[in-house]
Amino acid sequence: MARDKCVTGIKELDIQMDGGIPVGSTVLIVGSSGSGKTTLCMQFLVNGAKMGEKGVFFTITEPLFKLMANLEKFEFFDKSLVDNGMITIIDLRIIFERMGLDVEKYTVEDASALLDVIKDIAKELDAKRLVIDSITALCYRLQNREMIRDFIFKLGTFLAAMECTTFLTSEVPPREFKFSQYGIEEFISDGIIFLGDIERGGDLIRTLQIVKMRGVNHSRAKYAMSITSRGIELAPLLKVV
Amino acid sequence: MPTTLVEGLKERISTSISMYESLGVVLPGTNYTDLIQAIFACIRERSKDTWVYVTVTRPFESFLRLFGDLSNYPNVTFVDCISRASGIVRRDDQCIYIESPTMLEKVMMEVMNLFSKAPEGAEKFLILDSLSTLMIYNDPSLVTEFFYQLLNKTRSENIHSISLVVEEGEGDKYINKLIYLNDKILKVRDTFI
Repeated sequence: MARDKCVTGIKELDIQMDGGIPVGSTVLIVGSSGSGKTTLCMQFLVNGAKMGEKGVFFTITEPLFKLMANLEKFEFFDKSLVDNGMITIIDLRIIFERMGLDVEKYTVEDASALLDVIKDIAKELDAKRLVIDSITALCYRLQNREMIRDFIFKLGTFLAAMECTTFLTSEVPPREFKFSQYGIEEFISDGIIFLGDIERGGDLIRTLQIVKMRGVNHSRAKYAMSITSRGIELAPLLKVV
Repeated sequence: MPTTLVEGLKERISTSISMYESLGVVLPGTNYTDLIQAIFACIRERSKDTWVYVTVTRPFESFLRLFGDLSNYPNVTFVDCISRASGIVRRDDQCIYIESPTMLEKVMMEVMNLFSKAPEGAEKFLILDSLSTLMIYNDPSLVTEFFYQLLNKTRSENIHSISLVVEEGEGDKYINKLIYLNDKILKVRDTFI
């Protein structure tokens, strides 16, 4: 039987995925700095909240006030969703501090404790959508590839059982078709959405491509992406000669 | 005062867009202003309909100078593809600025978004000004693909389109091919009227 779909609410993206992401999937949102990862994730959460699905956004890369200030520029954002608890935004660095985890590298026990906290929060809030922005910054504190694999795998398994669809943002250098910093995240994820750009006449055209989405007969075509006050929009990319 | 040429053009355009989904207008550069005036007369006449004017030829400001503050044309919204690239920065409720005329997909997104807001029952008209200028900024094969996509999209959404080609010297082989994708071609000549 086909799994239920988690509708992102970004029309063209849902069309490319035959209706949406299978519920409970862990999807890597890959892109360089300024590629639109955070906007895509936030639009995914906001659209979910408008459909009655609670969401949690864990940020590690941006202070809350800056994140909120950026979000308020978008028409899709509705602050009341944060005020009424449909969306919870948490600065993970504050949790690190409170747990005494403001150290350079985590032990296995530290990582396990952090995982438990994230799981507890997701469970307590009954989140159906969760974002970690970015998994790259979080993985930086894990000492080796085994710990990274273990952390993402356990988190993904727990959230899948909760029927919570998860976006993990992955930071990569510009103009490189790689999916993660540590070369492991993509193998544990159920899906990969790659945000890149192409140069045309000296201008950079943003692009979006679904590289992988388990359980979905998805498009692999590259789309032109635009970030406007309305949020993320897509159109078929004209083929470059 | 509208001239006989402008009146004649307006009548031809008005009749053609009522009958055909896509109209191509080929004109010499010297008649460009006459054609614009004729198109604006159509916009004013069909005031309950929704119009989107994509300009690659002239900045939005130049239309403001030509037609005042556009308060007589509240049913038209511009998509200006060249002002930003020329370093002109201004804001206007009746204009959406595209960073560069090379961002053809973005043009498509903005056009379709504007039409999605059209009131129910309103007819929808798109003006592309012009195919020949788009060719200056983009590879001809890219413009060809863009135009195919645009026509497919507008036809599927029941949007009428008017595409302009400003002729300079001998006709460009790409443009000659493209313009014939339209359902109807109007060629403006000195002997037009």
